[in-house]
Amino acid sequence: MPSPDFSPVTVIGGGIAGSTAAIALSRHGLPVTLIDEQSEAGGQIFRAPSPYARQTVPPNHEFSGGDTLRGKLAASDVTVRLGTRVWGLSPSLTLDLIGSDGMSQLPPSTVVVANGATERFFPFPGWTTPRITGLAGASILMRNGGTLPGQTVVVAGSGPLLFSVAHQVLELGGKVAAIVDAGSRTDWFRLGAMLALDPSRMAQALSWMGQLRKAGIPIHHRSFLSSAQETESGLLLTVSEMDHPQRRHLYAAETAACGYGLKPSTLITRSAGVQHHHDALGGYLEPVTDVAGRTSRPDLYVTGDAAGIRGMAVARLRGLVTAHALAQDRGLISSATYESLTRTPRRQLRRLDAVSRRMLPLMNAGRELAASVHDDTIVCRCERVTAATLRSAIHSGAKDLNQLKAWTRCGMGPCQGRMCEDSARNLVTGTCKNTPEDAGSFTARMPFFPLPLTSVTGTFDYSDIPLPKAAPL
Amino acid sequence: MTVALHEKPAVYDAVIVGAGVMGATTALFLARAGLNVAMIDRQDMFRAASGVNAGTLTLHMTRAQLIPHAIRGREMWLNSAEWLGEDVGALATPGLSMAFTEAEEDLLRQRARVRQEMGAPIEIVSPERAISIEPGINPGLRAAAYCALDGHIPTYRVGGAYARALKQAGVTLIENAAVETIASSGGQGYEIRLANRNQAVHAHRVVLSTGAWLEKMLGWFGHDIPIRCLINQLVVTETLSPVMNSVLSIANGLLSLKQFANGSVLIGGGWQGEGNIRDGGTRVIPENLQGNVRLAQHVVPQLNTAQILRVWLGLESETPDAMPLIGPLTHDDNAFVVGCVHSGFTSGPYMGRLLAERILGADPDLTAFDPYRFSSSPATGSQP
Ligand SMILES: Cc1cc2nc3c(=O)[nH]c(=O)nc-3n(C[C@H](O)[C@H](O)[C@H](O)COP(=O)(O)OP(=O)(O)OC[C@H]3O[C@@H](n4cnc5c(N)ncnc54)[C@H](O)[C@@H]3O)c2cc1C
Repeated sequence: MPSPDFSPVTVIGGGIAGSTAAIALSRHGLPVTLIDEQSEAGGQIFRAPSPYARQTVPPNHEFSGGDTLRGKLAASDVTVRLGTRVWGLSPSLTLDLIGSDGMSQLPPSTVVVANGATERFFPFPGWTTPRITGLAGASILMRNGGTLPGQTVVVAGSGPLLFSVAHQVLELGGKVAAIVDAGSRTDWFRLGAMLALDPSRMAQALSWMGQLRKAGIPIHHRSFLSSAQETESGLLLTVSEMDHPQRRHLYAAETAACGYGLKPSTLITRSAGVQHHHDALGGYLEPVTDVAGRTSRPDLYVTGDAAGIRGMAVARLRGLVTAHALAQDRGLISSATYESLTRTPRRQLRRLDAVSRRMLPLMNAGRELAASVHDDTIVCRCERVTAATLRSAIHSGAKDLNQLKAWTRCGMGPCQGRMCEDSARNLVTGTCKNTPEDAGSFTARMPFFPLPLTSVTGTFDYSDIPLPKAAPL
Repeated sequence: MTVALHEKPAVYDAVIVGAGVMGATTALFLARAGLNVAMIDRQDMFRAASGVNAGTLTLHMTRAQLIPHAIRGREMWLNSAEWLGEDVGALATPGLSMAFTEAEEDLLRQRARVRQEMGAPIEIVSPERAISIEPGINPGLRAAAYCALDGHIPTYRVGGAYARALKQAGVTLIENAAVETIASSGGQGYEIRLANRNQAVHAHRVVLSTGAWLEKMLGWFGHDIPIRCLINQLVVTETLSPVMNSVLSIANGLLSLKQFANGSVLIGGGWQGEGNIRDGGTRVIPENLQGNVRLAQHVVPQLNTAQILRVWLGLESETPDAMPLIGPLTHDDNAFVVGCVHSGFTSGPYMGRLLAERILGADPDLTAFDPYRFSSSPATGSQP
């Protein structure tokens, strides 16, 4: 056993995984700083509700679970820095932060990345109207804001979030015009067979699905939103069937919520240079990790959905196991202690992991849509790059995402390609017949999100500027 | 001149090593003259300096001796449709270089005079005149140097345009294949070995145009020239309403500032980051980010409303005398170099064309760029 090393640990992300890991790490006696951009810990699922939402949204597991987690965090020795975002990092893992108190840096430490997931989108004509939101965004708006995205909503995309969002709309008194699912009914029922392994979650998804059907809400499987047109009162939405493109269904709604599953947020892990691989089932890039979240860098761990989408139950277990593994790596506990502390969580993880992985193809059911995106459709909304522009660059010889970005500006905007990367990759692999690994991913650049210029400059005099010596004449 | 007529020659007439603006322009003009040309890059083409530069077409920051070349290069960018086959969107604007202190004003006047002598139409103007040209600048300036010949080019459009032009000219492009050795193959040209490929490439002539990676390759040809690698920083803002319409800089050359058609403002000027040529990895130095951006905000105070969208670093090469390397590396005129050109994106097309002309038998004046100027005994350039 190495001699104990009590140097600091920084956890990025205060969701279920990050908070759980931070608390467990500090119980091992490590000085832990937890950083989260929100004003309260909890992440996406356990996000703290607004006072209005506390009154209007029926009590639920997410509120009570979040409150418990925040209570435990407050009672722990973890230093919590809320309202703080990581906008950059150095090769030695110095973290550049910005918060209400301005810019600051955290010196190199062992970093546990627990920054969760990002929603995936596939473009279609009209998708950039503000009347269309993501499924995850709509869900948070309703659960934590107590506000409907619209009185009548079309819920579209893929994965379990479809049914949970539709359920939330009804719960707040809204109307669901239709549910449009890229997955097939058989896929869902096949999943039902896994019920025994994760009863709570699967039972809930299937019971919502049944409820919605009973409420007479049309559910289109193997279908997708193929266009959205703005009208005076909202949207006119066209639903197309994947296997019968000529079959169309029209719906009017005030808004639509659309999302094609989740993917790990990899901006930080990619910047840190850890190894990643493409998960074919999930259709996304994820850091290469072992069961405890160890990566190709000894000073960086990844836990929760950031290590691959598995949902909240897995996130908590992963957070625990990562913390104990880090404690073992630091020589704070023996391998025997690690084994006994993690025996139960690791057994549960194995079981839940199997179910969660079965869920991935359902979340990724829209994968075939990107390759067929219409030429005029905008793929990169930040830089307004159309599919035609991308196809022509690919034709000129851009065989990977970074050359495509360099030649078209796709992915250069404020979102750093979060919205367009999957579509761009599918276009490249579809045209060049190369693998997602060959197509690669957009190089992550700092800052990770736009920074007010004055937060970098501060107050200064001209004479404060350390002007380098003149360039040669 | 041998003109091979078959598609995939066993031996290329010329192989260009390094697919940036220097190599690609040389390749283009050689191929158009009928040579069978291949161009090799260790990564995708135009991804090093030529893909990440600021696209400033300024004379204010150009080395005085290179002003004539920069003027020609700038003209070529503005007429890219004529020789490259498509308009890449270069824009002619005026350029202002500013002085805020007495020392800077002296420097400004001195540098403007030297550049004027080299043919740059630069004049010193009063603060009032400068403000009438560019209303958004800090009224606290003491003087400005005005040049009617300035402008910028959206760098991102250039790589794809070259790819199409090269394809049309019949250049064979070999990407993601680093050149590992170049050996003379029995007096019959060169054998070029590539990383990750079994097959060597053969050529009668080679052109080295590997930018910041030149030093080692020059050594293969007996030229021991230390190449310094600059790690230049660029900062781009989110789009904002128009705050300037010219290219702005300061007397000592450490700022370049312009707003593109889409509204984003690009802040550069050669502030340094950390990096290396081994893996091309780079890192921002926070103090230099702050210094560069402060300078920009000082020059255009309205930038205080901007959001910084991205910061990046690119590798630029420099010789000990900060003058280019262009010309033959061997006495039998079969190996050549083109690179280390200050403000090399501006003059790149012209420099590449010059070398192509030299290879094709013309005799442009390349004396100041001769690689042998660094050799102790100028007549002994050896061959690998
Ligand atoms: C951040 C930045 C901003 C700049 N701003 C401006 C500006 O505003 N205006 C201006 O005029 N100039 C500017 N410059 C300078 C300009 O970009 C360069 O002078 C010019 O692009 C150099 O072109 P090049 O072809 O010599 O080199 P590069 O474009 O660097 O090309 C060299 C190529 O060689 C390849 N290579 C390297 N090793 C090997 C190997 N072993 N085998 C095969 N291939 C190899 C590389 O991959 C690369 O593609 C800037 C430079 C930088 C870095």
